[in-house]
Amino acid sequence: MSTTTVETKFKPGDYKSGLGPVWCPGCGDFGVLNALYRALSQLQIEPWNTVILSGIGCSSRLPGYVKTYGFNGVHGRALPLATGVKVARPDLTVIAVGGDGDGLAIGGNHLMHSARRNLDVTYILMDNEIYGLTKGQVAPTTPTGDKTKSTFWGNPEPSVDPCELAISTGASWVARGFSGDVKFLTELTARAISHRGFSFLNVISPCVTWRGDDQYRELKQKLQYVPEDHEASSRRAAVAYTREKDVLTTGILYHVHDQPSLVDRLEEVKQRASGGRPEPTTRELLERFFPNL
Amino acid sequence: MPMTDLTFAMVGSGGDGVVTMGDMMAQAGASVGLHVMKVEAYGPQIRGGESSCTVRISGAPIFAQGDFIDVLVVFNWADFRRFRGEMVTAPNAVILYEESDPTPREQLEMDLGIGAGARWIPVPFVKLAKESAGTALAKNIVTLGLLGELFNLPQDALKRAISARFAKKKKEVVESNLQGFAAGVEFAASLNGRLNDRALEYTPGEPMLLMSGNEASAVGALHAGCRFFAGYPITPSSEILHYLSEVMPRMGGYLVQTEDELAAIGAVIGGSFAGVKSMTATSGPGLALMTEMLGLAAMAEVPAVIIDVQRGGPSTGLPTKSEQADLWQALWGSHGDAPRVVLAPADVEDCFHASVAAFNIAEEAQVPVIVLSDQFIAQRRETLSMLTLDHEVVGRQVPSAGELRDYRRYKDTTSGVSPMTWPGMKGGEYQTNGLEHDEVGQPSSMYIVHEKMNAKRYRKLRLVRDKYSFFRHYGPAEADVGIICWGSSKGPVKEAVMRANGRGEKVSAFVPQLLYPFPAHDFQRFVRGVKDIIVVELSYSAQFYKYLQTFLDLPDGHTFLFKRSGGKNLTVAEVEDKLAKVMEMGALRREVLV
Repeated sequence: MSTTTVETKFKPGDYKSGLGPVWCPGCGDFGVLNALYRALSQLQIEPWNTVILSGIGCSSRLPGYVKTYGFNGVHGRALPLATGVKVARPDLTVIAVGGDGDGLAIGGNHLMHSARRNLDVTYILMDNEIYGLTKGQVAPTTPTGDKTKSTFWGNPEPSVDPCELAISTGASWVARGFSGDVKFLTELTARAISHRGFSFLNVISPCVTWRGDDQYRELKQKLQYVPEDHEASSRRAAVAYTREKDVLTTGILYHVHDQPSLVDRLEEVKQRASGGRPEPTTRELLERFFPNL
Repeated sequence: MPMTDLTFAMVGSGGDGVVTMGDMMAQAGASVGLHVMKVEAYGPQIRGGESSCTVRISGAPIFAQGDFIDVLVVFNWADFRRFRGEMVTAPNAVILYEESDPTPREQLEMDLGIGAGARWIPVPFVKLAKESAGTALAKNIVTLGLLGELFNLPQDALKRAISARFAKKKKEVVESNLQGFAAGVEFAASLNGRLNDRALEYTPGEPMLLMSGNEASAVGALHAGCRFFAGYPITPSSEILHYLSEVMPRMGGYLVQTEDELAAIGAVIGGSFAGVKSMTATSGPGLALMTEMLGLAAMAEVPAVIIDVQRGGPSTGLPTKSEQADLWQALWGSHGDAPRVVLAPADVEDCFHASVAAFNIAEEAQVPVIVLSDQFIAQRRETLSMLTLDHEVVGRQVPSAGELRDYRRYKDTTSGVSPMTWPGMKGGEYQTNGLEHDEVGQPSSMYIVHEKMNAKRYRKLRLVRDKYSFFRHYGPAEADVGIICWGSSKGPVKEAVMRANGRGEKVSAFVPQLLYPFPAHDFQRFVRGVKDIIVVELSYSAQFYKYLQTFLDLPDGHTFLFKRSGGKNLTVAEVEDKLAKVMEMGALRREVLV
């Protein structure tokens, strides 16, 4: 006789693929992965009905460590792959993951359009402000002035705030998390997956190898939470928590409930097109090409 | 002598309605069982500018655009000048031209390439249109009446086509256009039967389908079970996107116009990974952008269908005109050793079959399949019989319950094909990778894994070559001259071969539909049966000829090449010209040998 309830059917450990991460000891991405295991368990998501997709970079190795369907694609194209999976199979839970170079530089265009479409996918962007896999070059989120392997004299360019970008391009759920705060990150991840529409979770995930050991300590000192009375449905209120310098605010910055997702809109088109009629046969499609005189 | 086959060409500016006129002629012909091929050509302007429309109408099957224009209608000589070198008139052509053209042809001070035997007939198109229909816009309708009466085109069908065209307008609009038509007929009668000898002779038959290659490609994809399309607009492929945007949701499927071609191919790979047959359509510049993820599909072994409707290149090239120079890009474009399959439809009907074959191959061998269509077949409209448009559909091989217990996505098998799950199949979860990976799908940089998996992926191509090689062979098995060509060159080549055979000449042609993997066996058998070979293609650098040299022993001194740039469709006359030279050379050589 089993006493197992539905709630405990999948434990966090059940989502481990058995493959050991290649990440450096102390990498922030471990925190993101652990939060994801816990969030999946919390939501009791069936592994075989879930797809995790990524591009290229340290963080893009993540799908290999989760026992769902997974796809580690090419640099910058996690969201196009996720678009195909979600639109072709709206029944699946689809999560895209990757780093700041993958999602904001080479793949930046896809972030804008996925947000605009309100694609019903969760996108977890692990932000370490550096290119880690290629050994320490400047990234779109690297602060101005920072020395990296490719900015010997200091970064001459301004950086981008990923949350500001996602909010301004149409994402319906935007949050910032910190990989050193796995408990809260688990909650944010679960909320992101539960959201119907494009949910964008920007996780500050330090790189101990190329950004120094002090980052965790500094970030923990700056860490604060979005206040309880924050008006998350207001774009203006949300943007107030972007481009921060002295503090790191985590939590749900922006959230609107009533936006139809891309899948909702395409379903509506499908209903309107078919009008409840059966699919035409090939012969019926062809007959339309007889001159209708 | 009455004609069984006439080619009409109409030239004017945007707004003159030459394409509308061609549409109505084609529809009228198809509706009474005539064989029709309609080709449009434009300048680069978005609206306005010069446009031309060529309609070949015949009582018997036709395979190519007419080489020579039998009947030329010119509203504006300045527009005609822009198509110089592309529109060639027959020696005894009939030229019907606007008598009040503001730029008379005498003022053009150039050789229009119209022979001395042509019959010139000035027509007051504008005046007749204004008088009969009340607007100069109706001059194309006047022309239809004129052509209908002069050349015995099906006049009732033409009138039905006019009524159908204006059906959504007020009744008076239909009436005035029909008056325009009558004015054309009347004007023709006033010419006192001067052209009775050129009337078309035919026996009416059952209506035919009238389709473009792009439409046939799209319907073929739906027949194959494609239910997800992602694409980015690009000339000359966009009609596939347009058609599917209407019909895909009707079929219970989904369509997304993506932000670029990178996203299009990415979404196709995603959709297919998720178990839904998925496709994109593009042209050369788009295929270039898709190339990285073509390699991903090859590496991750995800079925994907990509239709490349070729246009003139490189770079932006000639967006509205045809060429056969994306061949190498399709065959070899990618870093690493990336197996793919390349198919080439040769006419409109073939576009339907190539789409279905592409999905069958993609699903069966889990490879990306590129269909190399081109502007000439994609955008022309031609008549087809419904009877030829059916094709068996093949699905994906999924693992058995036993195989799911210890599921290895990339299991090394004899055929190279490993059963593939899709999300939703419990126990079939796997992580796929653009990184080299082992049988389970885990990343590996080991040489022995890489070598083994390369071998596995390429082994699948043998299956494709053995099962899906399809070619057309025209003419006798043993011949003095054998022509090898591909894609849209087939039409003119076939017609040239049939004419030569009709004269008793021993000439044959070989047109493969499967270009890669290379069906060497079929090629060799053809090559062994002919004394001299001509390779025909529209690629300046002779991509096809060089490709053949890679795999085929083409006999020295017996292999000839006819190649030129695209931008102008291949004609039967060009093929016949080359054929005659090679025949003559072969005859001389045989004389010497005796």
